[in-house]
Amino acid sequence: MGAECQVMGLFTDEDRAASAITALKKTPWHLKQVHSPVPSHKLSDALNLKKSKVGYFTLVGGIIGFFLGFALAMFTAAKWNLIVGGKPVIALVPFVIVGFEFTILFAVLGNVIGLLTQGGLPDYKGLDVYDPRCSGDHFGVLAACPEAEKSQLITYFKEKGGITRVFEPSTSAGNP
Amino acid sequence: MSELTYAKIDQTVLDTLRPATGAYWFTVALLAAGILGGLACWIYQIFIGIGVGGQNNPVAWGTYLINFVFWVGIAHSGTLISAILHLFRAGWRNPIARAAETMTVFAVCTAGLFPFVHLGRAWMVFYMLPYPNQRTLWPNFQSPLMFDVVAISTYLIVSSLFWYTGLLPDLAIVRDRSTGLRKKIFTILSMGWTGRMEQWRHYVRGYLFFAALATPLVISVHSVVSWDFALGVVPGWHTTIFAPYFVAGAIHSGLAMVLTLMIPLRKIFGYEKIITLDVLENVAKTIIFTGLIVGFAYGTEFFIAWYSHNSVEIAIFKWRALGHYRVGFWIMVICNTIIPLFLFLKRIRRSIIWLFVISIFINIGMWFERFVIIISSVAHDFMPHAWGLYWPTVVEMGIMVGSFSLFFFLFILFVKHMPSVSMTENKEVLVQGESHGG
Repeated sequence: MGAECQVMGLFTDEDRAASAITALKKTPWHLKQVHSPVPSHKLSDALNLKKSKVGYFTLVGGIIGFFLGFALAMFTAAKWNLIVGGKPVIALVPFVIVGFEFTILFAVLGNVIGLLTQGGLPDYKGLDVYDPRCSGDHFGVLAACPEAEKSQLITYFKEKGGITRVFEPSTSAGNP
Repeated sequence: MSELTYAKIDQTVLDTLRPATGAYWFTVALLAAGILGGLACWIYQIFIGIGVGGQNNPVAWGTYLINFVFWVGIAHSGTLISAILHLFRAGWRNPIARAAETMTVFAVCTAGLFPFVHLGRAWMVFYMLPYPNQRTLWPNFQSPLMFDVVAISTYLIVSSLFWYTGLLPDLAIVRDRSTGLRKKIFTILSMGWTGRMEQWRHYVRGYLFFAALATPLVISVHSVVSWDFALGVVPGWHTTIFAPYFVAGAIHSGLAMVLTLMIPLRKIFGYEKIITLDVLENVAKTIIFTGLIVGFAYGTEFFIAWYSHNSVEIAIFKWRALGHYRVGFWIMVICNTIIPLFLFLKRIRRSIIWLFVISIFINIGMWFERFVIIISSVAHDFMPHAWGLYWPTVVEMGIMVGSFSLFFFLFILFVKHMPSVSMTENKEVLVQGESHGG
């Protein structure tokens, strides 16, 4: 296989972008990625995206936080070892508050870690094959093809109702 | 929102980031002067001693604690709007969610300063951190004050992360329409966000979990603040109604502050087509609801005092309404429960001027609510020979003015340099395929 060329079809209509994605899967060309200014169910369905696994990070964070919060409160109370008002030194009821807050805190931290690792952020290299219109009002479908088939891929996107932008291997992010 | 397109939303918000006028910088300078004034008062207090404030026996908690509770309360509606209404899929919250979240973060930062100020020797703050001192003693988590440290710190971290996560796609929009240094800054801030469907897949899920976690957190935080009082055996404080009462009051004050900030912002930045009158009306309707809860709580406190046959409890509530601080009490009742009732009238609810005026009254009323709760109970508790009065000093007032200046200073810096309305969330509510065509 010769040099690979990347072409982005830019659509102002979500349905046309979804249709282009569905049809592109039946071609020999390689669908690289899809950009959208908003989260889109139609595009997700067209791409057959699976459910995100971020929730597992959140769950693990929450479990760690729950035990850590209780453990911290119990440990510090044990260090004082003071009986106040006839209550036990390790009084679980007030420690629920610390346990609860730590659960939320660590679940959120887990959520952020999940978001960053699963979403691949930060990702400054991704800007090399990106069109700034995709954050505005365009849906971008990026596909790769052999250099010899570039014009066919461009025609394909135009037939689907989009405009195109070609990314040569040395092209960097910039004005369209 | 039907006249809007994706491009118009972007343009309206991006226009707000253009170079500021002289009037803007004059306001910034004025607020900076207010901050410096507050800072000077704080430095004076550190050098002379905590006695320069009006706190003394029996009223050991004065304006520092009043302002702490006030600012924590203000912080609550941001999470209500961004998290709770997100879970309820209330689309009208989208135009004001960003500003409300921003308000939350800055209000928590402002609130967080007051425990430092109240400590006197601010550098002793490490005694509250989970860290052993030289006698190997750790903070004991059986005190409501330690619950508060944990709750407020968690709230600050969570609301900041939630706010920044919501900002990511919008930071990318600004990056894509900037040049030079601004582009570089926004490229770093947006973390290379490109709106890949793979990114959106995780983002939407993560944002939902953020909202689901922030919702119980916001309710717990002001409940914990209320337990600073309710766990003390002091008449007027030691009551189980405090947690829901404080949470409702916090949302009431926060929503009022949303109106106070949104109405000028909408006018100055030309957001009328995004922050529509319907959005403001919905905030007003929510204020009616929270105002009724707060009014019910005020009534319940008096009823339970009477019903308990506890003479000390009855005495404190009589004193609140008729005693030395009665003016504060009636300001509280009128501003928080009577005046919001005018919002039942559609004509007033849809009048920008009336909404703004009522929001200011509620802000004042909610400050006085904290004054009445915090001051009156300890000024007039069990033993008549230990009664005493409190009034804030100039130093305290200076620090309070500094805190208000700090909050508004941070807010107006943000709205001029960052997208103050979420472009992405407002695009989401447009009818797909009809309105965004370029």
